[in-house]
Amino acid sequence: MHAAVLRYRVMAYITGVVLIVLCFVGIPLQIAGHPAVANDVGVLHGILYIIYLVCAWMLSRKLALTNGQTVILLLAGTVPVMTFIVERWATRRFINPALAAAPSAEPVSR
Amino acid sequence: METPGPALQGTQGAAPVWRFLITPRWIGWHVLMVLAFWGMLWLGDWQLHRALSGNGLSWAYTFEWPLFAGFAVVFWAKTIRDEFRIRRGGGEVPEGAEAVSAAQSLPAGLGTAQVQQPADDADDAELAKYNAYLARLNDEVKGTHGKRYGFR
Repeated sequence: MHAAVLRYRVMAYITGVVLIVLCFVGIPLQIAGHPAVANDVGVLHGILYIIYLVCAWMLSRKLALTNGQTVILLLAGTVPVMTFIVERWATRRFINPALAAAPSAEPVSR
Repeated sequence: METPGPALQGTQGAAPVWRFLITPRWIGWHVLMVLAFWGMLWLGDWQLHRALSGNGLSWAYTFEWPLFAGFAVVFWAKTIRDEFRIRRGGGEVPEGAEAVSAAQSLPAGLGTAQVQQPADDADDAELAKYNAYLARLNDEVKGTHGKRYGFR
């Protein structure tokens, strides 16, 4: 469980940061006539999102989320800033309770 | 994955377990998944045409969209398989659920019984105090983060 949470968190933050760079640096530069950043970062986000999907999916199965909650978790990687919001939501609502219920839970971070 | 409560009904022969697949909620999910699958294949096809007409960047997305479509199918199949497992009375934990439930099953004659509710709950001052404490905690949580719990 801890490993799945860690994998999800790492990918959520990396994917989130890259998507913010893409949307708030790459796209303006592309509009200004310099498409190189948007092209490279876009492909990078595409690759990272594939990994994010797998990590988020594995976590959602461990937490036994509903279909709707799973969809929110998976699609968060495509909306700028949303990975951070959804990561906090998932932590408060599902991850912390699940870790608290686990037999050998480490102290839960807030 | 709705409440696992109806698992007992399935074992008592009222309705076959697979019936949950044709409830309106699940049919809605099926339709959404079919649309998403074909939509992603269509996007992959579109990127292929763009790639063939000279947009080199589109090659990455030409392979990515079909991959996402494949993910959708695999994820959906596993979701349904898990749901069957839960409704047939297995544990909530997908991995190793059979082993856990087998280990927990008791020999014939042994079992759990529901404890009868004592009649004098209303007079229990300590219980009332504890319930008030729980209610206060509940209010606090809802007051501070209620908005985060909005989307379900």
